[in-house]
Amino acid sequence: MIQLILNGLIAGSLAALMAGGLALVYGVLGVFNMALGQMALIGGYCTWWLHQVLHLPLALSIVGGLTIAAFISWIAFEIFINPFYKRHRFLPLVTTIALSMILDGLILLFFEEKPRAIMPGLKHTFEVFGGRISVEQVALISFTVLLMMALAYVLHSTAFGRKIRAVVQHDHAAMSLGIRAPLLHRSIFIMSGVLAGLGGIYLGIDQNLTPVFAFPITIKAYAAIIAGGKGNIWGAIVCAYIIALLEQFVVGVHWFGAFYISAGYQQTVALLFIILFLLFRPQGLFSSKARSA
Amino acid sequence: MILDIIVDQFSCTFQLIRAKWLPIPIKSMKRLLVPLFALGILLSACSPVADDGTGSIKIGYIGPLTGEAASYGKDTLNGAMLAVNEINEAGGINGRMIEIIAEDGRCTGTDAAGAAQKLVNVDKVIAIIGGQCSGETLAAAPIAEAAQVVMISPISSSPDVTVAGDFIFRDYPSDGLKTKAMAGYFKKEGINKIAAITENTDFAIAFRDALKENIGDALVFDEVVEPGTKDYRSLMARLKDEEFDAFFPNGQTPASMAAMMVQLREQGLTQLAISHDVAQDASMFEIAPEAVEGLLAIGVPAVDRDSDFGQKFLAEHGEAQGALFFAAQAYDAARLFADAIAEVGTEGAAIRDYLYAVDSFDGVVGPFGFDDNGDVTGISYVLWKASNGAFTQGEAVPVN
Repeated sequence: MIQLILNGLIAGSLAALMAGGLALVYGVLGVFNMALGQMALIGGYCTWWLHQVLHLPLALSIVGGLTIAAFISWIAFEIFINPFYKRHRFLPLVTTIALSMILDGLILLFFEEKPRAIMPGLKHTFEVFGGRISVEQVALISFTVLLMMALAYVLHSTAFGRKIRAVVQHDHAAMSLGIRAPLLHRSIFIMSGVLAGLGGIYLGIDQNLTPVFAFPITIKAYAAIIAGGKGNIWGAIVCAYIIALLEQFVVGVHWFGAFYISAGYQQTVALLFIILFLLFRPQGLFSSKARSA
Repeated sequence: MILDIIVDQFSCTFQLIRAKWLPIPIKSMKRLLVPLFALGILLSACSPVADDGTGSIKIGYIGPLTGEAASYGKDTLNGAMLAVNEINEAGGINGRMIEIIAEDGRCTGTDAAGAAQKLVNVDKVIAIIGGQCSGETLAAAPIAEAAQVVMISPISSSPDVTVAGDFIFRDYPSDGLKTKAMAGYFKKEGINKIAAITENTDFAIAFRDALKENIGDALVFDEVVEPGTKDYRSLMARLKDEEFDAFFPNGQTPASMAAMMVQLREQGLTQLAISHDVAQDASMFEIAPEAVEGLLAIGVPAVDRDSDFGQKFLAEHGEAQGALFFAAQAYDAARLFADAIAEVGTEGAAIRDYLYAVDSFDGVVGPFGFDDNGDVTGISYVLWKASNGAFTQGEAVPVN
């Protein structure tokens, strides 16, 4: 039981990083970014390259990887999002699919098809309450939680956060009050790229990176933001953890002491649950009433 | 006459569309059919034209050039290219050069079927080296069979390939045999309880089914996961409560197998782990050096690095991405085709009959022939053990 919760925390933290950034972008810009998984992989692969090929220290490699992720996000915003998203909110859906394919190609070109691990080898595991977890995983989980708390602080207790929330509620009204919405949009998109990049680094440290992994993590992030309520960053983060826990419990629990659900259905059952849930609460788990207009 | 050609074009174009666009509804298919039909006539792509005896001899290649399994593709294509370059430098076959046309099968049936259609109908290849993943071979087989194009798969091992068709050969032994060898090894070592995690791909599922046939109830833990899964932790948590002697990571790619091994060992499970040739991939040690330590694998004997082939391959392509024997298998397949074409010409049925008659071809993987199903004969199995960052060859593992 404890093990399943720990597993859920490990998988959930990864999903939360991805979903948090996605929810921000969706909430503020109203844009669906389909290249999220690829942006995560770019961050992860660049960190791998800096750490394993150039042999830079891990901390420096992570900073480098995130810088590259931020840079790529910025370029992506200027070319694939900025010219389109004001015209129609579904246009970026198509342009980011194109972006995802381009990034897929670039990843294959630069990093080859081999699986890559940022920190190869066994991690240092220890037992807590009968469950096993590694030092690295504890570090990753606590870092994610700290980051989310920092995000909460920025959103709710700083001028920048107030501006974001103002733009979420009504961007034209916010602009008339002197908030520079376009600049804000740009920084939000880059921020989501950095969060996704962190997700990629998380994946590269905890498991390994392969070029085809982008799509599944994108889908999971979408499930989380939809279940969490449109554009609600907290809902998205909480739901990312809930989905991860569900996936663990679906397969890990001996149901009614009689049978196990086959691991092949792990993702299906979790997503099915989301669908059922939305049938009864279509506005999502934590929808806010402020933006119903 | 004209009508014949049109009918032929139509059915062939239709086949092409069916293979490529099956998921689209019939109604929109009809709409697509008209322009494609016209295009088909324009290109006259489908009518079978016999090789005219001039120009280069085209041999197709299907394998995963991108995606998770791309290391198989890189090595086998390099192996085949090495053979072809050698033959061309020596003057080709009766003065005609061999040309390899490589298509990406991405380790999936749909892509391989599309690749086979293109090779057979557009490029009109004489023969095909491929597919590599069993799923590729099985999907490409009916298309090659219908067009009477001989296919030799270098590394597909699924038992289903045995009955894939009259024109379908492979120079790598079937997992039907390997699972027997594995079952024999379990018995000999007193391993009575096996826990397996299987990736849901043609190859891995067929291997698991064949193993199940041989060991039955000894498979105490048997879970199938979606292809590309990286998080096996919930299953490992269950394994902690399970009593088993050996863990069998049955993955399609080194990436998933390495993840299984890492997560198994992180749970403190120290049982023996034994797998098949997918494990014998250099990247396993790059991702998970400690977790892979001690892993056993049942596979074919090594290809000598110091052999003529080994030296040439290393000089031309450097270290193999996956394993040298992948390249050797494809190298042998290409040389076998060259022998056949030199002997009996470029007609599919003649090449097929030539291959069935091969008794002992002197391949770099050892002498081999083919049985009535086009399965390889003469290749044996050995036990491999991972230690200090490499697999070392151990005892022979007999099939019976």
